[in-house]
Amino acid sequence: MYGTQSKRDLAFEYQAQVPILRPSIHARRANITVKFQDIYGFTVEGNVDDVNVLNEVREKVRQQGRVWWALEASKGANWYLETHVSSTLKSSLKFTALVNQITLKRLIRKGIPPNLRPKVWFAMSGAAKKKSTVPDSYYNDLTSAVVDKVTPATKQIDHDLPRTFPGHPWLDTPEGHAALRRVLVGYSFRDSDVGYCQGLNYVAALLLLVMKTEEDAFWMLAVLLENVLVNDCYTTNLSGCHVEQRVFKDLLTKKCPRLAAHLETLEFDVSLVCTEWFLCLFSKSLPSETTMRVWDVLFYEGAKVLLHTALAIFKMKEEELLLTYHVGDVINIIQKTTHHLFDPDELMTVAFDKVGFMMTTNISKQRKKQEPAVMAELDQRFRRLNSTGEENDK
Amino acid sequence: MASSGNKSINAKLVLLGDVGAGKSSLVLRFVKGQFIEFQESTIGAAFSSQTVAVDDATVKFEIWDTAGQERYHSLAPMYYRGAAAAIIVYDITNQASLERAKKWVQELQSQGNSNMVMALAGNKADLVDSRKVATEEAQAYAQENGLFFMETSAKTATNVNDIFYEIAKRLPRLQPAQNPSGMVLLNRPPAEKAAGASCCS
Ligand SMILES: Nc1nc2c(ncn2[C@@H]2O[C@H](COP(=O)(O)OP(=O)(O)OP(=O)(O)O)[C@@H](O)[C@H]2O)c(=O)[nH]1
Ligand SMILES: [Mg+2]
Repeated sequence: MYGTQSKRDLAFEYQAQVPILRPSIHARRANITVKFQDIYGFTVEGNVDDVNVLNEVREKVRQQGRVWWALEASKGANWYLETHVSSTLKSSLKFTALVNQITLKRLIRKGIPPNLRPKVWFAMSGAAKKKSTVPDSYYNDLTSAVVDKVTPATKQIDHDLPRTFPGHPWLDTPEGHAALRRVLVGYSFRDSDVGYCQGLNYVAALLLLVMKTEEDAFWMLAVLLENVLVNDCYTTNLSGCHVEQRVFKDLLTKKCPRLAAHLETLEFDVSLVCTEWFLCLFSKSLPSETTMRVWDVLFYEGAKVLLHTALAIFKMKEEELLLTYHVGDVINIIQKTTHHLFDPDELMTVAFDKVGFMMTTNISKQRKKQEPAVMAELDQRFRRLNSTGEENDK
Repeated sequence: MASSGNKSINAKLVLLGDVGAGKSSLVLRFVKGQFIEFQESTIGAAFSSQTVAVDDATVKFEIWDTAGQERYHSLAPMYYRGAAAAIIVYDITNQASLERAKKWVQELQSQGNSNMVMALAGNKADLVDSRKVATEEAQAYAQENGLFFMETSAKTATNVNDIFYEIAKRLPRLQPAQNPSGMVLLNRPPAEKAAGASCCS
């Protein structure tokens, strides 16, 4: 697949598939809405300024592509796989690995070129390693073994297939539905604790659009749920997601204390917007290339990237949000902001430079701290509901 | 209909109900007057707002359309907390969705605020040929539990505006003087409300 196509071909193919968007003369006045398709096939509505931003972004993506090719030329085709600094390495190699590691982190925050994404994601997320531990036929065996099975998960999946990015030129075709079904149903049997959780349909759909094969999309989904994200994000009571919300609330209070205090007086709970962000990994909120840029970093640096991104969105609009009086106004500002974030660099700069460094170990500690409270709350609620149920049944 | 001297009320409204019962479709119909055959599944919840004018007031609904899948249940309190009204939706072609609706009613009665206006909506009323839930059954249940009941269709728009309008009429009216932000926020002392509303001015 990758081996058969030379780098030059891929580069060329990519250049060719990026047309410059030219809004018609009539649309050249701002505040006129234009509709167009972005590089992942999604229909985007925006004004002329948005189109200009998107054109600039495409140019930046092209430049970024050249940087990656140049690095491959000087460091070797798979240099980014050799960034692990192990103690057994000779010190000269250790140094090279370390340099590569720093280069790679910076490079990834600036974005992986779309045509390299399938290969780089697969390698650095751990999906390749995960796949290599099972027989080659694993995915085919799994999907053919479960093809006729009916479970609550498969029923829900079937219900959601036409409701996942409806209107998308590939996802919303029989072929797209069938691929998405196999990935989701396959996964629901791989991990019956997760089974199927709404939200995964959007994540898997985007993975299918990016990865070259359906099987690779499946492994990306697996590594995401099993290694990259926090535990129990999607299981029965979404406890992992509850934990993440609390960690985020504390972070917001620390990083934007005025805003956090203001939102509290409005009785605005950040989970009102963060739940969807954390469960769909921003795929329903941000423009596709911006989502992909978040995922680039997510697969390399881990789940804390979601917290960085969420913080950045609040931080970018801090002043405006401080002037709100109603929960509704807060939501409207946040939604407008996320839908128009066509320039990924704008978001990434705030997320990683302005928000500041967050130690992975500190965040893990915060999660550990929140877990008992979340479990207690969920448990208490469960018991209270059950007891009222019994009373009514009597 | 609303004259300038009318009271203006902000009311938080939450929609609860089984997956695919048509909560998002009802909201889309009410807010934008549209219907989409394949509506994206809701994750967490979606927010929108719409204003209706009734005889003596203008009511601005702040609508929380929640996700129906069972595991999202644990998020629901965040959305119904402080809500002035709830629409519990079931699908008339699906008996299980009525059972789910009853569970929601039970939960709201025990956890929600006691003055909450509750409506039961039997949606997809246009699908008469596949009807599984008799009107009388739902009607009787609603009456017993103090809800008002309507069969609706987001597709044909039948009773959609009506159900919101009916809720608007039934909302308790608070004294405007103690309620500067116009919120229908019950269960809280007026002093606290005033403090909350003035903090940002
Ligand atoms: N015929 C008919 N179909 C409807 C009606 N309302 C909704 N639907 C269809 O039912 C499906 C589910 O509707 P949604 O509005 O997404 O349901 P929901 O309750 O929001 O579902 P979740 O977000 O998954 O909880 C969609 O395909 C709608 O087109 C209706 O009044 N009549
Ligand atoms: Mg919905």
